[in-house]
Amino acid sequence: MGFSFSKEGINNVFKEWSKDYIIYAPKRIIGGGAFSDTDSIRYEKIDTVDEIEFNVKSTFSFKEILLPISQTLFFFTEDEVKEADGPKKGAIIFLRSCDLHAVKRLDEIYLRNGFEDYYYKRIREKGKFILIGCKSAFENCFCVDMNTNKIDAYDASLEPTENGYVMDNKCQDWEELLLNNSLSQDEVNPSYVTETKIHVNIPEGLSIDIAKSKMWDEYDSRCINCGRCNFVCPTCTCFTMQDIFYTDNGKVGERRRVHASCMVDGYTDVAGGSSYRKNNGQRMRFKVLHKIYDYKKRFGYHMCVGCGRCDDICPEYISFSNCINKLEDAIKEVNGNE
Amino acid sequence: MDVNTKVLKKNAFRVTKQRGITASRIRVPGGHLEAKYLSMIQKIADTYGNGTVHITSRQGFEIPGIKYEDMPKVNELLQPIIEGLDINQEVPGQGYSAAGTRNVVACIGNKVCPYACYDTTKFAKRIEKAIFPNDLHFKIALTGCPNDCAKVRMHDFGIMGMTEPRYDRDRCVSCGACVKKCKKKSVAALKAVNYRVQRNEEKCIGCGECVLACPTAAWTRKQEKLYRLTIFGRTGKKNPRMGEDFIKWVDEDSIIKIILNTYDYVKKYIDPEAPGGKEHIGYIVDRTGFEEFKKWALKDVNLPSTAEICTPIYWKGIKY
Amino acid sequence: MNSNNEYIPFMSEIKEIIKHTEIEYTFRMTYDGEVKPGQFFEVSIPKFGEAPISVSGIQEGLIDLTIRKVGKVTNEIFEHYVGDKIFLRGPYGNGFDVDIYKNKELVVIAGGTGVSPVKGVIDYFSNNSKEVKNMTLIAGFKTPKDILFREDFKKWEENINIILTVDSLDGDEEGTYSVGLVTKYIPDLKFENIKEAVAIVVGPPAMMKFATQGLLDIGFLEENIWVSHERKMCCGIGKCGHCKIDDVYVCLDGPVFNYVKGKTFID
Repeated sequence: MGFSFSKEGINNVFKEWSKDYIIYAPKRIIGGGAFSDTDSIRYEKIDTVDEIEFNVKSTFSFKEILLPISQTLFFFTEDEVKEADGPKKGAIIFLRSCDLHAVKRLDEIYLRNGFEDYYYKRIREKGKFILIGCKSAFENCFCVDMNTNKIDAYDASLEPTENGYVMDNKCQDWEELLLNNSLSQDEVNPSYVTETKIHVNIPEGLSIDIAKSKMWDEYDSRCINCGRCNFVCPTCTCFTMQDIFYTDNGKVGERRRVHASCMVDGYTDVAGGSSYRKNNGQRMRFKVLHKIYDYKKRFGYHMCVGCGRCDDICPEYISFSNCINKLEDAIKEVNGNE
Repeated sequence: MDVNTKVLKKNAFRVTKQRGITASRIRVPGGHLEAKYLSMIQKIADTYGNGTVHITSRQGFEIPGIKYEDMPKVNELLQPIIEGLDINQEVPGQGYSAAGTRNVVACIGNKVCPYACYDTTKFAKRIEKAIFPNDLHFKIALTGCPNDCAKVRMHDFGIMGMTEPRYDRDRCVSCGACVKKCKKKSVAALKAVNYRVQRNEEKCIGCGECVLACPTAAWTRKQEKLYRLTIFGRTGKKNPRMGEDFIKWVDEDSIIKIILNTYDYVKKYIDPEAPGGKEHIGYIVDRTGFEEFKKWALKDVNLPSTAEICTPIYWKGIKY
Repeated sequence: MNSNNEYIPFMSEIKEIIKHTEIEYTFRMTYDGEVKPGQFFEVSIPKFGEAPISVSGIQEGLIDLTIRKVGKVTNEIFEHYVGDKIFLRGPYGNGFDVDIYKNKELVVIAGGTGVSPVKGVIDYFSNNSKEVKNMTLIAGFKTPKDILFREDFKKWEENINIILTVDSLDGDEEGTYSVGLVTKYIPDLKFENIKEAVAIVVGPPAMMKFATQGLLDIGFLEENIWVSHERKMCCGIGKCGHCKIDDVYVCLDGPVFNYVKGKTFID
C-alpha cells in the first residue's frame, strides 16, 4: 500500500524500526572526501530521514553493509576457534534500483555459487531493502541499458516530495505502523529513469579471444591499479583472508576477510612468489569481461548493473562504459587477425 | 618637480630609474581575484601608464610608465580594485595606505589543487585584514601543503597546510597504497603491521598523501584545520636563509595572534637607524635572541593541544 | 558453533610425517569422510593463514597432504610434529573421477609436486590394476634429490609401467634414473587404440602445456585428456574470486578439467 508522510511521521516510523533494525542509508560525510573540504557519500547508520542523501549518487555502495569491508570470521587461540558474533539487529538498507539489482548478484555468489556463505546469510536474511526512486539519471549511469533501472522486489520505497515523503510498502508487518504515522494512503509508484546520457553496447559474439585484442594495451599505462573501481562497485565481491594476532599475546588472534580488488597488486600472487596478470590492461580485461561477459556465461545475466560508480571514482578518468563500447571493434580486430 | 618620495612609496608607488615616471603597485592578497579587475588594471595601464603590466613576484601587478602628476587619477581608478579586494584603507579614494608590509602570497590552494589542505586565499585574506595597513617590512606567504609551491620558507612567516590523517581500520583492505605513496612521495611515516597501517606521528608531516592514495576512504582528513608555521626565512644580501619550523599543528587564530605580536616586538626592537625603516625581522631576532622573540610572539596565544613548539631554533643559510 | 559455517576449520592430528626432500613432506592426517583424489583441503594455521593442499593419498580415516615449504603457511606447517594437531577445511574441488579411466589405456604425466593430486588415482589403479587396460606413469622431477614418493614408486612398479625421469642428475650418479623432460617419452608410448586412450597431465604450467601438446601430436583426442589446474584457490568455496578464470571457479568446477575446457583458460 502507498503512504504519504510528513517528516515527523516518517521519523516516527524510523524510530519504531530502529528497535529491531539498524537503518543504513547513503549519508553525506562532510569533509569525508579525499580532497580537503570535499564530501563523500557513504553508507552509514542513520536515525532520521534528513540524514539520507537523496540527491546525489553515493560514492561507495550499500554492499559494505551486507559484506563489510573488513569482517572478522572467528577468533582463535592455538587450538580453539570461536565464531565472531553477528549483528543482533536486522538491517534496513536504503538503496536505488541499480543497487537492489546488485543484491541479486551478491546473493548469487554468496548464497548459491558453491557453499552458502554463513556470514553473508546471517546479515542478509535479516535485511530489508527500501528503494530510493530515481527521478533522473546521474552522470555516468547506464542502468537502462543494463535493464536495472526498474525493480519491484523491494520491501518498501521512499522518495521525498515537495512537502514530505511518499512510500510504497510491500512488507505486511509494517502496514499498521505506517498507517498510524502517515498523512494519507495513496497509490505510490517509485520513480525510475527511462533514459540515461551514457549508453553501452555489449556486442554479441564476445568470447575469451577478446583477451588477445590490443584494446587492453592502453590501460597498461593509463590505469594505476588503485582498485577504486572495484571497491565502489556494488557487484564486486572478492575478498582476501587475513590472520592477525593481538600483539600483546601472540597466541591469540582473529581471522577476517577484507575486500579484495582484481586490479590491485597481490590479487593473483601464489605461494612461492609468482603471479598472473601483471599488466594493468590485462587486469582491466579480466574485470571488464567478468562484468559483462563471463558472469553471464555462468549465471545467465550480466553482473554489471550500470551504476557508473567506477567511472565516477576513477582518478585517471578511465571510463568503464567507454571500454565496453570498444569491444565491438575489438571483436573485428581479433577475428580479422585469424 | 617637487615630489615627496617617502609619501609616494607609502602610497604604493615607486621611485623608478626614469626621472618623472613612477609605477603603481597593486596587491592581490592570496593571489586570486575576479577576472573583472584585470580590465580595470588594463584601463590604468592604457590611460596613465605605457600600456604594459608587470606581474610581480609577490602576486601583484605593477603598472609602469605613470607620470607623477597622474598619481591622484590613478588612485581614483584604483579605488574599485582596492574596495573589491577588500583592502583596509585609511582614506577612500587616495590609494593604498601603506606599502611596508608586503602582499600576503598564497599558492592556488584547495580551490583547485588536489594536494592543498585548505583554502589558502581565504586564510591569506584573513591575515590581510588583521595586519594591513602597516609600514613594517613583513613578508608572509601561505602554501597549501608541504610541497611548498609558494616557497613560504623564504618568508618571515610561512604557513603550510597540514592534514591530520584519520584512520578507520575497519575500512582498510591492506592494499598498501598509502604506505607506498608515503614512502615514495613523502617521509615514510607509515608502515604495515599485522595487515593494518601504523603512522609514526612524530615523523608525519601532514601532507595528506595517504588520504589521496586510499581507495576505500579508510584514511580521511581530520576536519580541524592545522598548519605548520615557519619563521624568518629571507632573501637579501647578508644572510639569505630558509625559514625554520616554529610551531607544527597550529591553528589559524594562533598564527594571526603570533603575527600581530611580532609587529609589537619589531616596533620595540627594530634598529632605529634601519635604512628606510626596513629591517628583516630575522636580523632583529639575531640581536635579541630567539627566546626574547618567543616570549613576545606567544603572549596571550592559546595554542591548541596539538601544537608542537620547536625550540630553540637555529637558522642556517648563506652568510656573506 | 554453527555447522553451516564452512569457514570454521576442524582439528586433524598428524599421524605420520614422510620426508621426501628437504622441503617436501607428506603429512598423514586424520580425516573421516568422503574424499576423492585431486580434491584439496585448506590447511588453516591460525596466525599464518590458509594454503590449499591437494590430497595425495587416501586411506580409511586418513588423508595424505604432501606439502612443499614455499610460504608463510607452509613454513609453519613444517614446524609441526607427529601427534600435533592442525586445522583443516575441506575437502573442496571436484577431484578425479576414477570411473572415467576404468577399462581404458591410461597414461599419467606428472611433474614435480604435480604427482600429489594425481597420486590417489595412481594408487587406485596400482591396487586395482585389473580395472584399467594398461597404465603408464611418466613422472618427472628436476633432479634425483627432488623425487617424491620413492617408496610408492617401488610399489607401483609391480603393477604399472613407470617412467621416472629427472631433468638432470645434478651430480647424483647412484640411482638408475632416466634423464630428460617428460615430453621426451611421449612419442614412444604405444597404444592399442589411441583414439580411446585417456591421459591425465598435472604439473607446472609450462610442463602441462608441452606434455598435452605431445599427447595431441601422437594422436590423442582433446576430450580424452584431463588436466589439474592448481591455481590460486583461496576460500575454496566459490566466494572470494581469486581462482576465477573466465566463467570457471577452479575451486568449485576444478581443479580437474577436461582439456577441451582447460585449453581455453586465459588467466
